[in-house]
Amino acid sequence: MRLFKLEIKRILKTRATLVLLFLALGLSFVMAYLPITFSYNSYTDANGDTVKLTGLASIAYEKKLQADIAGSVTPQKVRQAVESYQACLTKYGVENSYDLPEGVYQSEIFPYAPLLHGIREAFADRSTGIAPSIMEIAPQEVDRYYEVCRERLVSLMQMEQEKHPAAQKAAVTMYEKVEKPYLFFPGYSTDAMDYQIILAFLVLLFCAIIAAPVFTSDYQTGADDILRCTKCGKIKFAVTKMISMLFITGITFTLCAVIYITVSNNLWGWECTKTSIQMLYSIVNLPNMNIGQLQCFIAIFGLVCILSNVSFTLFLSSRFKNLTASLSAALLFCILPTIIYMLLPAEIGSWIYSILPAGGNGLQTSVLYAAIDFDFWNIGTISIWLPHVMLGAYIIEIPLFLFLTVYSYVKHEAG
Amino acid sequence: MELYIKHISKQFKDLTAVNDITLQITPGVWGLLGANGAGKTTLMRMIAGIMKPTSGQILYDGIPIHELKESFRDVFGYLPQEFGFYPEFTVKDYLEYIAVLKGLTPKDSKRKINELLEQMTLSHVKNKKITKLSGGMKRRVGIAQALLNEPEVLILDEPTSGLDPGERVRFRNLLSEFAHDRIVLISTHIVSDVEYIATQNAVMKEGKLLAKGTTEELVKLVEGKVWSARIPMNRLPEYEQKLQIVNIRNEDNGQIAIRYLAGRPFTEDSLPVSPHLEDLYLWLFPTDTVSKKTFSGKND
Repeated sequence: MRLFKLEIKRILKTRATLVLLFLALGLSFVMAYLPITFSYNSYTDANGDTVKLTGLASIAYEKKLQADIAGSVTPQKVRQAVESYQACLTKYGVENSYDLPEGVYQSEIFPYAPLLHGIREAFADRSTGIAPSIMEIAPQEVDRYYEVCRERLVSLMQMEQEKHPAAQKAAVTMYEKVEKPYLFFPGYSTDAMDYQIILAFLVLLFCAIIAAPVFTSDYQTGADDILRCTKCGKIKFAVTKMISMLFITGITFTLCAVIYITVSNNLWGWECTKTSIQMLYSIVNLPNMNIGQLQCFIAIFGLVCILSNVSFTLFLSSRFKNLTASLSAALLFCILPTIIYMLLPAEIGSWIYSILPAGGNGLQTSVLYAAIDFDFWNIGTISIWLPHVMLGAYIIEIPLFLFLTVYSYVKHEAG
Repeated sequence: MELYIKHISKQFKDLTAVNDITLQITPGVWGLLGANGAGKTTLMRMIAGIMKPTSGQILYDGIPIHELKESFRDVFGYLPQEFGFYPEFTVKDYLEYIAVLKGLTPKDSKRKINELLEQMTLSHVKNKKITKLSGGMKRRVGIAQALLNEPEVLILDEPTSGLDPGERVRFRNLLSEFAHDRIVLISTHIVSDVEYIATQNAVMKEGKLLAKGTTEELVKLVEGKVWSARIPMNRLPEYEQKLQIVNIRNEDNGQIAIRYLAGRPFTEDSLPVSPHLEDLYLWLFPTDTVSKKTFSGKND
């Protein structure tokens, strides 16, 4: 315990580490606030002037305008929204809401627009997947809204996982567990979720930068020659260093996530966290989660992912004798999932990046995108939902890389 | 108590750094002498367990040190030739850190750290960052960490480099006291550091053990090979080309007194003088600029 305390003290005395930790905490506030600035609304006032609203004022305006639709998304509400939409476009003789006269969308459709989210997706053609115009949807069909959603998921999975009936079945089973009717509370934007991912990725990078020198730096400076000759200088020392690093990165990531979620939800409004994710992403998303649960899911998942990546970085650190090489390799592995995502075909790419330690906090490969997508790992007749694969991989990788780190450190020979 | 180095060798690709060395090290101060590249540091690293021998083994009281593991490290102290510190640590932080790694209790740590800070005259800089210290002070911090656990086996690689003459004398005295019933192995270029305190010496060259014994025994190897003579100052360059000159002292009337190494006297008025360990060192490791073939008698 004394060694652990001294190691924590040592790490926290390192200026570069402190700068990165404070930067991570500061970024949590900044990143939580930034998406607020993207909110934009405008309306025409009584004098005929256009009033532009941004930030919190825009969100407040949106909440006020859509206050009536807050709560359960019942088929009746959706049908009413479809009918109102169709009536509005018919009244103005247009086929598309973009063609409406200025200000009409804002005053007549915007108040119930969130209820129309996903309606076209739900009624997409079962064989081609092409979504109809809202004008083509028969309002009475909307009475079967959640059955239509289920049918849509079945057809979607038949298209996406054509050769994998197990995946199709698993997806439907998951979707059946989703609480219905969905809930919706106005004002929130998925930008906030995206920024949580960016923050997680940045913290991942910072933690990799902090972890990369843990062993390598001692090798490079020669400090290791003294340390490993001491009574507790081998396994105990390596284990203490690893635990200290995992502790600091774990605490840092948790603090960042807590700050982000708290600040973000205070700004957007805590009631928004009750919104079902299906009302913001795909109408047939598989997880039974609301926005608040998704935020926590990403945070917990991100924590496991970051611990896995730090374990891997520590392993790299125990292997490399040169700090530049260790740092470069650590950073490369942080961005590798994104590179693989961009370079390799989707199916092979997802196989690889989902098991890479940094995958879950990657910019393109984040668990958020895996959770709102319909990807499965198919091995023979077994199909596993991608976030479950990622989580399983990290749970295996953490002890594996920690063991390899200790082994590598103990076996290290002075150069 | 005995450290037995048994047929130890270390091969680095084409280079044999240590070549079949066998040495029984008993309590006392041992001087390990040798020029750069002689293999001293490699040998010490193998004793410290931070480098594996290619062949052979090192035994402590009859048990291989790799089997003793933690229990050997518990009685071991090591100061490498070159080493790093954590730049963020003060002297006290660093010594506390090492004390914990050495398994000292909080009470013993405090006592021993204060004692060593005093002995190493580091008390006034104990709260200073190590990076801010002079080379000599850093070396003293290094020595202090090696002594923290009062080791039975203490290995010091060039411990006095960077120390001023006063510090070296203090260090020698400290070590002489400390070495009672302990094994202390010191490698150094500064022969005078071990000449006064070493009970035994081992001389290495090109990875091999050339000689071992007490200082008195070793200097006998160069008995009759150390001379002093007076020569005209203007002929010094000529003599320097031909002789291994150990010492030069200016005298009156354009004359200088030289102390040189040679198998036989170079001048008629040369007088034999008592050899020192440094003479042996220079005899075994002559400087490249000196041509000795004619007079050294080494190849005779």
